[in-house]
Amino acid sequence: MKAFGKYISKYLVTFFAFALALLLVNILAFALTFGGIIFGEYSFASPVNMLEAVAADLSASGVSEEIKQDLNRNHIWAMFLNTDGGCDWTVSLPEEVPTQYNIQDVAVFSKGYLKDYPVFVQSVERGLLVLGYPKDSFMKLTGNYFPMRVVRVLPIFTIGMLAVDILLLFFVYCFSKRKISKNTEPIMAAVKTLSTGEPVHLSIHGELSEIADSVNQASRVLSRQNEARANWISGVSHDIRTPLSMIMGYSKLIADEDDVDVAVKRKAEIIGQQSIKIRELVQDLNLVSQLEYEMQPIHKKTVRLASLLRSYAAELLNTGLTDEYSLDIEIAAAAETITFDCDARLISRAINNLVQNSIRHNPNGCNIVLALNYADEAISLSVSDNGVGLSAEKLKELNEKPHYMESTDSRLDLRHGLGLILVTQIVNAHKGSLRIESEEQQGCKFTIVFPQ
Amino acid sequence: MDNSFLHSKKLLLVDDEPELLKMVTAILRGEGFQHLVTATKMKDGVTVAKTEKPDLAILDVMLPDGDGFSLMEQIRAWTDIPVIFLTARDEAVDKLAGLGLGADDYIAKPFLPQEFLLRVYAVLRRCYKEYASVLKLDGCTVDFSRAEVDKGGEILPLTAMEHKLLETLAKNEGRIVTVDTICEALWGDNPFGYENSLNAHVRRVREKIEADPSKPVSLLTVKGLGYKLVARK
Repeated sequence: MKAFGKYISKYLVTFFAFALALLLVNILAFALTFGGIIFGEYSFASPVNMLEAVAADLSASGVSEEIKQDLNRNHIWAMFLNTDGGCDWTVSLPEEVPTQYNIQDVAVFSKGYLKDYPVFVQSVERGLLVLGYPKDSFMKLTGNYFPMRVVRVLPIFTIGMLAVDILLLFFVYCFSKRKISKNTEPIMAAVKTLSTGEPVHLSIHGELSEIADSVNQASRVLSRQNEARANWISGVSHDIRTPLSMIMGYSKLIADEDDVDVAVKRKAEIIGQQSIKIRELVQDLNLVSQLEYEMQPIHKKTVRLASLLRSYAAELLNTGLTDEYSLDIEIAAAAETITFDCDARLISRAINNLVQNSIRHNPNGCNIVLALNYADEAISLSVSDNGVGLSAEKLKELNEKPHYMESTDSRLDLRHGLGLILVTQIVNAHKGSLRIESEEQQGCKFTIVFPQ
Repeated sequence: MDNSFLHSKKLLLVDDEPELLKMVTAILRGEGFQHLVTATKMKDGVTVAKTEKPDLAILDVMLPDGDGFSLMEQIRAWTDIPVIFLTARDEAVDKLAGLGLGADDYIAKPFLPQEFLLRVYAVLRRCYKEYASVLKLDGCTVDFSRAEVDKGGEILPLTAMEHKLLETLAKNEGRIVTVDTICEALWGDNPFGYENSLNAHVRRVREKIEADPSKPVSLLTVKGLGYKLVARK
């Protein structure tokens, strides 16, 4: 059972509101059914009223004609017993009813019936007034007593019973809700996963299987589209590679040719440099799309990050870093032997993209520092420079604005490249996080943190 | 390092793109390679390899009538020549990165001519070791075959470790070699905690090869990364 609070939802309120409404409907139906009888009972012809009216009208000789008519109209008979048990006067007394009573007779009928007539009595000044109603018009309770214990317990019993009822209702509610949750939870989870673009597969039997089939179908369609998109990008990037090789090759050949004009050589060099940028872009684009659609299997191996960072730095220096730039490497003693399960090629690529970012944004040169630290069970790998930095606005944009690859908003600024989004993806694929710190003219620091 | 002794090697190039073949041929010729043979199909590649007997094959992974992997298999059926793959596919890079196929190296397209040549030289050097095993440094001459240093007429023998250290650096002459790579060459896999031993070996090597061991000019330290061996200009 999950959190209790989950069951105190608005549906619980609805449920109890419904129960309350049901109770009210019952009361209403009861009132409609029995209302007439009850009101009739307390009308003029009811025993209490009738007894009162007759007693008020009472005289030594009997009752007035008016009362007699009232009694007759309601088929009620009356008699007046004096203190000796004799009958002083009667009104419409049936024949089978005797006119002389002893003390036992009175004690017996006053509680119940007299010759099957329900009778009601009232003690007046000189005797006992007895009214007899038609047979089967009233049921009298002859044993009308309750032990005091019962009377005392009754309120507690009522409240307790009510509480038990409410509790039982709540359990029934929880049970039904839990049953629904149990069946819908996998579907909800699948839809949630689907909304992030990842494929899902549900296998549910029973009444919800149709929904599960639809979700599976949607997932298949989504995967197919993603696959097609990734294949398309990979195909395009593949087709670009051979012609790009030739552009890079020939521009270099022209630049190295001895009998070529210096200006032409310079132009060839520019072509060469720009084609390297295209190469980086094509590689980034392909990797981004492969990672985005999870087409690229991540080849994780246990890698010593200090060693990886050093070999990256050595490679960068070996292939030639122009004089405006300098590179420092700071590996903390605690991080020296740290190993991490990762795809070394992708991590190098992420570092390279950050370094190339620093180079690109600081055409007048800067000092780049690669640092590796290990503290509090977390590896942090940072690339920082002392260059132009980012404005607060630009930093905010970088942190918050979605990249155009991730958005359908065509008005989005297309200026910043694929480099950073690939870094983010690589970091995410390794369950790490990326932090960007910068101040204008104070340089820029990108820190990747991998929890160990 | 002088690579000219490798220019007599015969190279086989197979790629379905004739224009690319033309360019790669131009790059190699410009570098001094004289014996170059080419093919654009797998079938032709097999035939040319049989008749020309090249010393190195550079094969494209994607060929119109097959793939470079099966071409390598066919060539390897009768000869052990080194093979470098050219590939335009990332998936192929992943496959080749393990080099479990027996290829000697791979080059991903698009490539810069200098990257291409670097890989070709590296593979050739590794496979054809009959190069002049003498390296001239500023203060001395190292003879790898005899494990000796000739310092102005004074002959200083190299220990096995010193020899290995110098050889590792000499193979990457002019380039930074990280401490990790050096330790791996000297002590094998998982070379943890050998930094102090490495420092000691470097110190002893400097005493043998440098004119002033406290101010090295040939075996340079690259702070935080590793070492670099610089040959005499």
